Amino acid sequence: MATALVAALFLVATAAANDLLPPERAFALSARALDERTLEARFAVARGYYLYRDKLRFAVAPGALASLPVLPPGQMKDDEFFGRVETYRKEVVVRLTLDRPAAGERVTLNAESQGCADVGVCYPPQTQTLELTLPAAGRGAGPKVDAAPPKKSWFN
Amino acid sequence: MALALRSGLIPWLLIGVAAAVALAAGFLVAERTGNPMTAPATPGAPDALLGITLPDASGKQEALGQWRGKVLVVNFWATWCTPCREEMPEFVTVQRELGGRGLQFVGIAIDEPAKVRQFADEIGLNYPSLIGGYGAIELSKSLGNKVGALPFTLILDRSGAVAHTQLGPLREAKLRSIVAQLL
Repeated sequence: MATALVAALFLVATAAANDLLPPERAFALSARALDERTLEARFAVARGYYLYRDKLRFAVAPGALASLPVLPPGQMKDDEFFGRVETYRKEVVVRLTLDRPAAGERVTLNAESQGCADVGVCYPPQTQTLELTLPAAGRGAGPKVDAAPPKKSWFN
Repeated sequence: MALALRSGLIPWLLIGVAAAVALAAGFLVAERTGNPMTAPATPGAPDALLGITLPDASGKQEALGQWRGKVLVVNFWATWCTPCREEMPEFVTVQRELGGRGLQFVGIAIDEPAKVRQFADEIGLNYPSLIGGYGAIELSKSLGNKVGALPFTLILDRSGAVAHTQLGPLREAKLRSIVAQLL
């Protein structure tokens, strides 16, 4: 009986694997504040999906980033049309420096990304948003915050 | 049955039943939508699609309703989508061969007119590609594009009913076999 149940569950799981993830789950954004001036943004990229390095954009509000973030090198991919492009699989972590210390303040992080799935689909660029509070000076990193679920357009 | 009990066959019978049910469910979904990755279109959405008007890359307004009565292949695409660009030359071939028999491709690009024009020239696009913008992603969702990815292709029969939806590349052989039954 247990075997049958396991087998049935396996079949359900296999069926679910045919489903594509919505972009916010294929490329899940989270972030934490490392100190009063530095954020660390992270995209967790689901297996079978990849992000384009040159499509990543970050912005904070209020205020601004001190400089363009340094993106880690990606994996080279030979794209039939775009030539050699860099992509990220599994995860990409980017450090963001604010243009001023903002201890105790709440900031909104907007991250734009664009990627594809190996099965042969690409997602339009998406912007994910999260809010976090910067720690006081010398207090260490804050907790990890996940991006808010996207607004459902049919409720707007 | 006694034999089944003695030799412990019952779990295997149950597995068989579970497998059959799961397979049947899978086939039913695939049969209905043509693709397990797509959802059925919202009621009224295919009609709404045939009621819209979109500009082409030169700004000329085109009503989708003008192709009512044809077998219509509506392909949502973008120049930034490599799998979309890969499959479109095949659509050009099929349009050339079967256009005379009542097959009509229409592209809806989630893109800028200049980029669409450039790519259309590059591959010798022989069917209209209209400019949908990001709003067209929402339109495609109402037609069964569950996650809003590209390419997404919808085939309507001559009565305007959905015959097939496809998220991801629609291979030429599959495309030909579907439209052959509709023409």
